[in-house]
Amino acid sequence: MALRRWRLVMATLVAVLLLVPAAGIGQTPGSLRLAITRDEGHLNPYTYQTGYPGWNLMTLVYDTLFYPDANNEPIPWLVRSAQVSRDGLTWTLTLHPNIRWHDGRSLTSEDIKFTFEYVIKVAHSRWTPPARVIERVDAPNPTTVVFHLKNADAGFRLRALADVPILPKHIWESVTTVPAARALTNVVGSGPYMVAEAQPAQFYRLTANPQYFAGQPRVRELILPVIRDATVSFTALQAAQIEANVRTLAPELVAQFERLPGMKVVRGAGFASTLLQFNMEHPLLKDPKLRQAIANTINTRLMVRLLMLGFAVGGSPGYLHPDSPLYAPGVKFEANKAKAVALLNEAGYRDRNNDGIREAQDGTPLRFTLLTLAGNPIRIRGAELIRTWLRDVGIDTTVRVQEDAAIIDQVWPEFDVCKGRRFDMAVFGWSAPVMTRPTALRDLFHSDCNIGVLNIGGYKNPQIDRMGEQLAITVDPARQKQIATEMQKIVAQDLPVHVLFYPDTIMAYRQAGYDRWVFQKGQGIINKLSFVDPPK
Amino acid sequence: MLRFLAGKGVQYALVLLFAITLNFLLPRMMPGSPLVFLVGEDIGFMPAAQRAQIMREFGLDQALWRQYLIYLGNLAQGDLGFSYQQGRPIAEIILNRLPWTLLLVGLSLLLATLIGVTWGLLAAWRRGTSVDLGSLGVAMFFESTPSFWLGMIFIAVFAAGFGWFPIFGAQTIGVPLSGAAWVVDRLRHLALPMATLTLITIPGMFMIMRYAMLAVLDEQYVTTARSKGVAERRVIYGHAMRNALLPVATVFMLNLGTVVSGATVIETVFSYPGIGRLLFEAVLARDYPVIQATFFIVTVSVIGMNIIADLLYPIIDPRVRHAR
Repeated sequence: MALRRWRLVMATLVAVLLLVPAAGIGQTPGSLRLAITRDEGHLNPYTYQTGYPGWNLMTLVYDTLFYPDANNEPIPWLVRSAQVSRDGLTWTLTLHPNIRWHDGRSLTSEDIKFTFEYVIKVAHSRWTPPARVIERVDAPNPTTVVFHLKNADAGFRLRALADVPILPKHIWESVTTVPAARALTNVVGSGPYMVAEAQPAQFYRLTANPQYFAGQPRVRELILPVIRDATVSFTALQAAQIEANVRTLAPELVAQFERLPGMKVVRGAGFASTLLQFNMEHPLLKDPKLRQAIANTINTRLMVRLLMLGFAVGGSPGYLHPDSPLYAPGVKFEANKAKAVALLNEAGYRDRNNDGIREAQDGTPLRFTLLTLAGNPIRIRGAELIRTWLRDVGIDTTVRVQEDAAIIDQVWPEFDVCKGRRFDMAVFGWSAPVMTRPTALRDLFHSDCNIGVLNIGGYKNPQIDRMGEQLAITVDPARQKQIATEMQKIVAQDLPVHVLFYPDTIMAYRQAGYDRWVFQKGQGIINKLSFVDPPK
Repeated sequence: MLRFLAGKGVQYALVLLFAITLNFLLPRMMPGSPLVFLVGEDIGFMPAAQRAQIMREFGLDQALWRQYLIYLGNLAQGDLGFSYQQGRPIAEIILNRLPWTLLLVGLSLLLATLIGVTWGLLAAWRRGTSVDLGSLGVAMFFESTPSFWLGMIFIAVFAAGFGWFPIFGAQTIGVPLSGAAWVVDRLRHLALPMATLTLITIPGMFMIMRYAMLAVLDEQYVTTARSKGVAERRVIYGHAMRNALLPVATVFMLNLGTVVSGATVIETVFSYPGIGRLLFEAVLARDYPVIQATFFIVTVSVIGMNIIADLLYPIIDPRVRHAR
């Protein structure tokens, strides 16, 4: 009897769960569900941590003076017009009139002045460094702001003006330390969206700012659920439980998603890189001949086909992606195994004891460890391919797979190039912003660890140093391109890194949910331009 | 009894202190630094002086023993600290996550125990028959099934396929609900993760109950009862089951202690906001205060459950009482 009653209760429960209409599975009109990968803190500029999509989401709530357009070219945003003095030292900006904070107060030049002074004082890894070039900010009237720089700066427009989110002075004035800034929950910005609800680790709900100075945002409500697992997030997209996903679609899913009715797959260049990083302080790997030989064994074209199913662009030896603004078109690299063998023989790396592994002239065998990231199957398989190809020419490599923090600890201890390095080779990668910065080649390859802050291999070349310093203070685009081209030619010869490929950015969304996404080159569809038109 | 309790108390206090110390030391011995989570991933562009300033503001520049003393002091005042990664007070984070974990893991454990015990009892009773062997096979299958795989299958079939359940999350977003609709919404989100967790927990309970029952059924007092002509039902429920439940109770209490640590894999697959996911993400982010606080809560809970088990045991097993 008891058992029968129990069965009845269970049956009723299941029936209720199934019969009640699937509340919340369908889309509510005017609202758009976009899956994100992780908790983004309070969505305030000081809880911001990662480039894409962290910055893109945070800048839906906060505005910048300029904003990168679909080609990553900074266009005026809060600013109506800008004038730069001939020496590049004085920037006079005029703001749009009638810009309001979410709490209704006016946004004025005082807020701009406050923001840049604030980020210089209260350290943040993204806002503080590009602001250090600022000597003084003046706010002569509510809509005019004047920046006086210590020296001309190639990256000022993109990295400072189009990047640093403007903070409301009346709220941030009293917040004076990093811990306090990270704890600030009063998320008042001037952007097209306001934070209506935030449940840590679950979701954010953003609502359109009806007073937005550039016009009404096109979507009334943005729901950003955190979906931790990539596969699950695409299942949710397929099952119409979300309309879009910040993640890049895995190559093996592209064909399937392209066939799905109502699903749109957009793809284009990706500015993130997957590369083979050498340690130039290693007694053997400091020899450019050996690095060239190693690069010549790696068939990046086959890698793109095998690992990325063709959805990637083969690496360019000067680091920059062929679609990036400073790319030098003539710089190419064709792998050739015969050439690798010739290079090794020529440089005196021969198998002296017939064990199948070549030795240097002093008898040291060519044996290396190759670090790669756990949780990234494509990189692990890439590392395995490299190991096989190197074995073919008599170089022995051990692939070591480790988690992110452990890899950083060896390749880039404490994220400080000055702290040295403890590795041979690593399959590594840089995110998209590294590609678009005009100063990228200096950051990556300058030998002074305080200037070449991304030079994790410890590469040294005085010529590159000089050109890098020149590049950083060059404001004229034509001259920039000229210097960058020369730098790429040298890098392609020295090969401090060997770029394997640049994975394409492939994104999928449901057209019925929303169809006015703007694809930003190298990054994707998650950006302000997808929801509002640039201010006129 | 009092002396027994005092002895136990000292013992547990020592265990707790040891655990707290380990909680403090282990995360700091892992390679990697929390800096990137404090200031963002462009950390490379930050000069050394500024990094030092930030380490100072978060108290990370202090000698390890001082950090340890500060940690102990704060803990004594009930202050769990601030999350590096999320910029929120940890007490708030844990209170936010705990109900979800208790709901998911607690309910699954209860359900799994009920089902596992009943099933184990039936299997032992029908020892050697096709019912028993079949049950053993099914239990082995679920015992060896990875939880993420089972979760994925459930998502593919019941959520994506039939569309009966939501694929992710713990609640519907942006639709205000109240009353019965609110409860049903939570239950619908709970159903699949709970079913997965229950299914992989049942086999353990089943096995314990089955073996305990088999051992008890071989005891002489059971034979005596049967030869006295006591009805089979009464032999099973009245004589055998009550003794066979003792090991089940022990395992249940131990499991109950770990309920607060959540179910990392299932919480991740279903994007469920529990403690397991919190802990996992904190480890990846080297979020020392969160790692410490979460392990602390788990430790306290496990020790607490042990104390309760110690106290309950003489009641459920009179032999323990008499032995003392």
